[in-house]
Amino acid sequence: MTAAQWQIFITALLSAGLIAAVPLLLAALGETFAERAGLLNLGLEGMLLSGAFAGFYAALTTQSMVAGLAAGTTTGLLLGLLFGFLAISLRVDQVIIGLGITLVAEGSTGFLFRDFYGQRFPTLTFSTAKVAVPWLSDLPILGPALFNQQPLVYLAWLLVVGCAFLLKHTRFGLEVRAAGESPLAADAAGVNVAQTRYLAIMIGGVMAGLGGAFLSVGDLNFFVPGMTVGQGFIAIAIAMLGKWQPYRVFFGALLFGTLRSLSTGLQIIGLDLRPEFVLMLPYIGIIVALIILARRTQLPAALGLPYERDQR
Amino acid sequence: MKYLIYLWLVILMLSMAACQAMTPAPAEAPAATTEAAASTGAKVEKVAVLLPASQTDQGWNQQAADAMVQVQQKLGFELEVAENLGYDDITPVLRDLAERDFDLLICHASGYQTVCPEFAQQTRINVAVVENPGAVGPYVADVETQAQEVAYLAGILAAKLSGSKKVGIVVSGEPPTWNFMTIGFAEGVKATDPAVEIIYSVIGEAAYEDAAGAKRVTESQLAAGADIIFGMGDGASFGMLQAIQEHNAAGGKARFIDVIGDKSADYKDVLLTSVVFDYTGVYETMINDIDTGNFGKEYRMDVAGGGVRLLDLPADVPADVAAAVERARQDIVSGKIKVSAVGDAEAMRARLDELKH
Repeated sequence: MTAAQWQIFITALLSAGLIAAVPLLLAALGETFAERAGLLNLGLEGMLLSGAFAGFYAALTTQSMVAGLAAGTTTGLLLGLLFGFLAISLRVDQVIIGLGITLVAEGSTGFLFRDFYGQRFPTLTFSTAKVAVPWLSDLPILGPALFNQQPLVYLAWLLVVGCAFLLKHTRFGLEVRAAGESPLAADAAGVNVAQTRYLAIMIGGVMAGLGGAFLSVGDLNFFVPGMTVGQGFIAIAIAMLGKWQPYRVFFGALLFGTLRSLSTGLQIIGLDLRPEFVLMLPYIGIIVALIILARRTQLPAALGLPYERDQR
Repeated sequence: MKYLIYLWLVILMLSMAACQAMTPAPAEAPAATTEAAASTGAKVEKVAVLLPASQTDQGWNQQAADAMVQVQQKLGFELEVAENLGYDDITPVLRDLAERDFDLLICHASGYQTVCPEFAQQTRINVAVVENPGAVGPYVADVETQAQEVAYLAGILAAKLSGSKKVGIVVSGEPPTWNFMTIGFAEGVKATDPAVEIIYSVIGEAAYEDAAGAKRVTESQLAAGADIIFGMGDGASFGMLQAIQEHNAAGGKARFIDVIGDKSADYKDVLLTSVVFDYTGVYETMINDIDTGNFGKEYRMDVAGGGVRLLDLPADVPADVAAAVERARQDIVSGKIKVSAVGDAEAMRARLDELKH
């Protein structure tokens, strides 16, 4: 390839990595809130998939991307509420709830897709125009890759900043962290642990639903049953890798997306590596990063444990 | 109360999981009395098609389902399509179908190549597998799709029409069916124009529904200069198509060659052609053979028999290119051109390396 072709190629790889990271980032940010508050949400995959389906259905019906995103977000919120009700109010095992939500979502989205559309494979006829950030988008290679993207990508970045601020510099953020570390002490200090956990899991559901809607409405313009292909579980690993800190979660998601893109790039340039290894690259990268960066990670002390006020 | 909640959740999970697949059956394998429509000859009354993914994927799964529906309308038997079974163990589904006295089970995935023949030997129920000639036996038939022959024709088309002299192959995995077509396509390209560069990318291990990943990989190939993409993806193919549509909307001029199904109704703007699989003839022959006691053999779908063919070329394909493709088709039928049949992934990569260098 010529130098100009290399530039285009690398730009495309970087852009692909960034786009691939967005659903992971949104889901992982949501999981950060949930786990910080002491809730282990293994239903993230189901929330992503449900958000993708609901978002696509609404967008197709109304021919509006905003409606699609709203539907995806609302679906995530409702699933978050369901999780919260079962885990917080009824104190059902959180692992079972999460896996149950994922299984139900996988079954119901496929079923509903067939019921609504039968043999057809509908696609959205509209798409979102990219927005170029002035001056930054003119930078060589990085400019077009990072600063000429859909508005949703920039929104995801803003949400990172927003989540970081919320967790670290607000009373609500303090309450979330307290509910996850020591709900007993938080309760004694006047924090409504149940309410805090409800809000945290609702944020988690909203973010996951938004991530799913981005996948079907923003990135692609269709829905395929099972299209999330395990990204929800990757997002859980990324939340842990980032030690439940939004900026670190952002880099974790970017790492995975970039490694996925890199594995594509290695295949295209014809590097003499076994394809199995190349395809494993993103997952190996996350495992290595977890070992190096998250080895001494302290889980939130009350993660996965129901809190019973009566037992104070 | 908590135990009731647990019970409810478990029941709900099982129920929803069964929405997409067959209900798992009891553990005991059925007795051999269900051999009523076995190879010894008896009318086929119930047929099941077992699919790993959705029967509306406009690809691998739908082609089998639609073909069997056509045969059912002609021959009049009871048909059940079990879809979204995935690629893991389908023994519970097989047992359930056997208990319900199905006469023929079409195991339509390379991942079912082992479990279905074993099941057939245990229960003496007729099964048909794909791309596993070694399994052929009294109750086991094999469907051999000589798709490499038509992929070769697609390769000729791509080599002649590529303006950048770079063509891409994007696959969602490396099952035998995809591997046959990869090599067939590559041989067609190189036989037509050795100067054309071939780029090969795998989306992932069994990434058949990973449309987003497919889109990323295709975008990367387009960025590397490929202007004709030969894609094998099932649901993932839609991601490849979208990548090309967006590429062309931004000023590019890429085309897509699909496999198995016909997506021209929705993607006429980017679809160059498709390697179409038509199972109708094979399925009808298979069912008639059970009726006459001649089951348990290999059934070939090839260019000569019409089981695989190239989708009608669009009007903008130059007449001399279309003529070259037709000449090659006739040479394949006559045996003058022999296309390599390479199903094994390791052997496919080795052969592809030879062709690329």
